[in-house]
Amino acid sequence: MSYSTFNRKQFDSLQEPMFFGENVNVARYDQQKHPIFEKLIEKQLSFFWRPEEVDLSTDRKDYLKLEPHEQHIFLSNLKYQTLLDSVQGRSPNVALLPIVSLPELETWIETWSFSETIHSRSYTHIIRNIVNDPSKVFDDIVVNEEITKRADSVSRYYDELIEKVSLYNTLGLGKHHVPGKGEVDVTLRSLKRTLYLTIASVNVLEAIRFYVSFACSFAFAERTLMEGNAKIIKLIARDEALHLNGTQHMLNLMASGRDDPEMAEVAQECRDDVIRIFVEAAQQERDWASYLFKDGSMIGLNAQILSQYVEYITNIRMQAIGLEPQFATKNNPIPWINAWLVSDNVQVAPQEAEISSYLVGQIDNDLDEADFDDFDL
Amino acid sequence: MTSTFKEDSLHRVKIGAKEVLVTEEEPLLPQLERSGLVLEYQCREGYCSSCALKLVWGKVYYPEEPMAWVQGGHVLSCCAYAKSDIEIASL
Repeated sequence: MSYSTFNRKQFDSLQEPMFFGENVNVARYDQQKHPIFEKLIEKQLSFFWRPEEVDLSTDRKDYLKLEPHEQHIFLSNLKYQTLLDSVQGRSPNVALLPIVSLPELETWIETWSFSETIHSRSYTHIIRNIVNDPSKVFDDIVVNEEITKRADSVSRYYDELIEKVSLYNTLGLGKHHVPGKGEVDVTLRSLKRTLYLTIASVNVLEAIRFYVSFACSFAFAERTLMEGNAKIIKLIARDEALHLNGTQHMLNLMASGRDDPEMAEVAQECRDDVIRIFVEAAQQERDWASYLFKDGSMIGLNAQILSQYVEYITNIRMQAIGLEPQFATKNNPIPWINAWLVSDNVQVAPQEAEISSYLVGQIDNDLDEADFDDFDL
Repeated sequence: MTSTFKEDSLHRVKIGAKEVLVTEEEPLLPQLERSGLVLEYQCREGYCSSCALKLVWGKVYYPEEPMAWVQGGHVLSCCAYAKSDIEIASL
């Protein structure tokens, strides 16, 4: 029922389900029903980084030297990622905070969503550094048909959940007349179904949809092009791996019945729908790969290889939540990508990064051979 | 030459047609990679779950509980240590 920002009831939050129990009151982390969310918060905080830590002056020169079809691949991926993180920077908060019932999960949702806003800020940092007029890139996101098609798929479940939860929070359970929609039956079961499908669709967003862009960014960097961008994408990929862990835990906890016995039934009922969400997303990502490479491929990547990678990674993500893999692809067609996804390869210590305001004995990023002319060995 | 490994901490890992000897001193993934196997991984820190394999039989242990959800009968090769002879397979 009606959301309260500080629930005055006295209850044991360790007995609450993740969602649709009591509204959280005291933000306490000394005890947790599901310690994983506390661990995720700690890990995410330890990952904190800022896009300005990465110097992009070489990327601008690289970008100007790219073939037009490569510039199309690069910018299109940035637009798609901007869309995905625009959604992720707000939706976990808007959709999930009104229904969450555990303090550690509530704070994980906020921490998760906040880290997505850093990603959005890094796209601005990248775009501002490589093109003269960022508006041309940003404005296209809402009109480009290939992007808007995807906007519908990534926001549909969130929007449905937000609508139902707002009815639930204002009018309660029961049949309600909604202008323009007719009679809407708000039941706890239907709310839980929509929640489960939303979490599955968010898992797909973070665990599959991002990876086509990641692969392209790292493929450029394998050719020592756009390396500043790749450094940022590496940090984003590291965060996303944490986020997908969060949604995998939510889905697995729900399906196990350990959190809320009714959710286990809901997960069972929704199994085919979740499989459909994964398979449809994989198809959309393969279509996206074809759009990226419509004017030409890049060294080491083409639409076919990327499509196989989408299938491969979709299988992995499905198995992580106990679903049967749906694609025949058994091998990673781009195994080199994994070296870019290793957690501890990433370093963001300010004294080691190229932040001129921090470094004392600063190293110039634009050294060439002529600078060593005075050296005799 | 003296070995740094006690013999009882050496275990056989069967994976497909291949058998690899591993110690209890290091997780499975780097040891299997050194034997020439190419296995899937991403974070190598136990939170992304991409390195999950099927544990057909045998015992493994995790000195630190991995952050990833480990499905029943699966093993995370980046952070699991062999505790006995084991057989693993791709998922």
